[in-house]
Amino acid sequence: MTVFEVINNILKIAGDAFAGLITSILGAGGLADFVVMLVAALIICALCAVAFMGLTYAERKIVARIQDRIGPNQAGPYGVLQPIADGIKMFTKEDTTPAEADRWVYNLAPLVIAVFALLTYAVIPFAPGVVGTNLNIGVFYVIAVGSGSTVAILMAGWGSNNKYSLLGAFRTVAQLVGYEVPMLLNVLPVVMLSGSMSLVDIIERQTLGNGGNGIPFILVVPLSALIFLISGIAETGRSPFDLLEAESEIVAGFHVEYSGMKFALFFLGEYVNALAVSIMFTVLFMGGYAGPILPPYVWLLLKVAAVFTILMWLRGTLPRVRVDQLMSFNWKFLVPMSIVNVILIMIIGKVFVADPVTAQVNGGIAVPPLVQAMILFTSNVIVLLIGLLMVSRQARQLRLTEAEDLDRRAAHNKAAAAKVVAQ
Amino acid sequence: MINGIPLYWYLIVSAALFCIGLYGVLARKNAIAVIMCVELMLNAVNINLIAFWRYITPAAISGLSFAAFIFVVAAAEAAVGLALIISIYRNTRSVDPEKIDSMKL
Amino acid sequence: MTLQQILFIVISLVVLGSAFLVVTTRNLFHAALFLVVSFFGVAGFYVLLDAGFFAAAQVLVYIGAISILFIFAVMLTRDVITAQRGNSQWQAAAFVGAFLFLLMAILLGPFSITIRGHQFGNANWPFDMAGDAIKAAPSNFVGTMGSGLVSMDQYGVPFLLAGVLLLVAMVGAIWVARELRGREAEKAAAETAIDDADMDMNQPVQETLPLVDTNEAHESHDAAAVEKH
Repeated sequence: MTVFEVINNILKIAGDAFAGLITSILGAGGLADFVVMLVAALIICALCAVAFMGLTYAERKIVARIQDRIGPNQAGPYGVLQPIADGIKMFTKEDTTPAEADRWVYNLAPLVIAVFALLTYAVIPFAPGVVGTNLNIGVFYVIAVGSGSTVAILMAGWGSNNKYSLLGAFRTVAQLVGYEVPMLLNVLPVVMLSGSMSLVDIIERQTLGNGGNGIPFILVVPLSALIFLISGIAETGRSPFDLLEAESEIVAGFHVEYSGMKFALFFLGEYVNALAVSIMFTVLFMGGYAGPILPPYVWLLLKVAAVFTILMWLRGTLPRVRVDQLMSFNWKFLVPMSIVNVILIMIIGKVFVADPVTAQVNGGIAVPPLVQAMILFTSNVIVLLIGLLMVSRQARQLRLTEAEDLDRRAAHNKAAAAKVVAQ
Repeated sequence: MINGIPLYWYLIVSAALFCIGLYGVLARKNAIAVIMCVELMLNAVNINLIAFWRYITPAAISGLSFAAFIFVVAAAEAAVGLALIISIYRNTRSVDPEKIDSMKL
Repeated sequence: MTLQQILFIVISLVVLGSAFLVVTTRNLFHAALFLVVSFFGVAGFYVLLDAGFFAAAQVLVYIGAISILFIFAVMLTRDVITAQRGNSQWQAAAFVGAFLFLLMAILLGPFSITIRGHQFGNANWPFDMAGDAIKAAPSNFVGTMGSGLVSMDQYGVPFLLAGVLLLVAMVGAIWVARELRGREAEKAAAETAIDDADMDMNQPVQETLPLVDTNEAHESHDAAAVEKH
């Protein structure tokens, strides 16, 4: 084994060595497996906590730069100790429970949200061979677990016994349940093209060798990637879709009554979910850990950092959308476009077949994978352009009617004011 | 992962779940709770179907397909049932199944 | 006792305990949350039965969608939720439930009883109830099931019907639960007004409130806003 290979597989080697150590102490069997898995789960949870601290710092710095501020700069050089200072503040804050709160529900909600956020990481592949469990239904599992946080938010909203919390919870249902639809619809093309729901298989399909063709899916189905990213942002409730905790409208939504560690758990859940969405985006559409020269985990880090920077960028620049805009954007734009896109991809995938053996068995025109990818790319772009064209036409009409309405009202008001003056 | 678990364990647990759901359907005073208990009964049926599939015909897909159809029916039933209850609540301000006995709202 | 047996007992305690709380607890919101716990336990059963796909589907459909619907319905009707536990027939219901459970336990369990020379119990079942001869776990049943569901020789027609059922349920739910708006609302209000008048002939007709020209009030407000610009 060369040095190069050791560096590439350092995570796997370390994991195997640790598992061997535990097995030699406890003897092979169920107990050793259990201890190894427990330690691995604890390491992932600890890494998530560390990532949470790093992400809050990075986000505050980057959003500050976007908005022409400096951001945290007091604690440590360049303010790098700010997350630790925040943590100390959270720990030492008084932990309050509202007098009329539903105690059990109120206290359980932050735990549930953190647990559901961390469960996602059980199937995410970090490097070749470094994955909690390679489920054959990995994508489905991630989406299923992601839908569980809705219950936690409803628990928080109801348990606090506060009208703003309840409003936030009501908004949650509309938003999170609604945006699950385009998310699922845009995972479908990836699953269809790779022929598997396992995240490892999906990454293999996007790398050269092992039956893959080396084309990341973002270049094959760019429209799906775009809609997946948008609905992922909405699923995690980040700006510009942060209606469930809109500070300026409903104070802080579902977590207005929480303080101290419970609030920190909500915060952790939000960031861990956002990180999971970025990792899922890289795995599904950008080839995950695959990449030349650099070790796999470095590639994963780079890609996830790029996607998360896009999320921060959106947060720093876009204003919050209105509730009705949120709903019509989802149901009138994203969902129809996704359905059209999925149907087109199905038809194209059946007509232009990349695998010559399948083409002979099932019929269809056998083409090289690159040509199939180009055809799919073109169809995606065409669907996107047609959708945008229709929306822009409708928006122009809407603007015209609104302007007319305003003009009419202004004229009416002027006449009324003139009448008053005359009297 | 079925080492040492006999089939009848699953059958008895699902029978118990079904009977708890049945009790709830007959005894609860709230229409929403009644629908919750119906969902419990459907879940009991699903446990049975998948247990039979795993123990007796793991190569066939009939048990799985029926379980999938029960998922569909449960979702449809919950959506329509709750919509009806909300509609009745709007008109009569009550969700007690004993009070909703007139044919006209 | 194997690990699987311990897991099974823990999960069944969770499922049955929370199901029992669903039917007995007074607070309906808590009942909905216990329902979520029960659904989660059933997903655990599916994992024990090597049906991971159904476990994920259980979490997605039951916890992510159906229990959300229940919680939402509880929130919307919370001002009429009473703290009563059961109705007048709860004792009869408990008897029916317990009797049915005993019957099923005798028929399905490892016991067998003899009544007048006839043996009742699982000894008469045509297949292996004890699960001694465990068959191998199926690999990739999801693919087999998927192709079976879309194949017209197997479950193609029921699958299509399931899709139609979902569509009908969706349209029906929206139609039933929608609020009347605009002309329809006026029509419905007029109908109820006629009904009320029919019913209370003796009562004097309520005086209508003096109409406030809300439009004008709004517009003067708008005028101020426009002037500011």
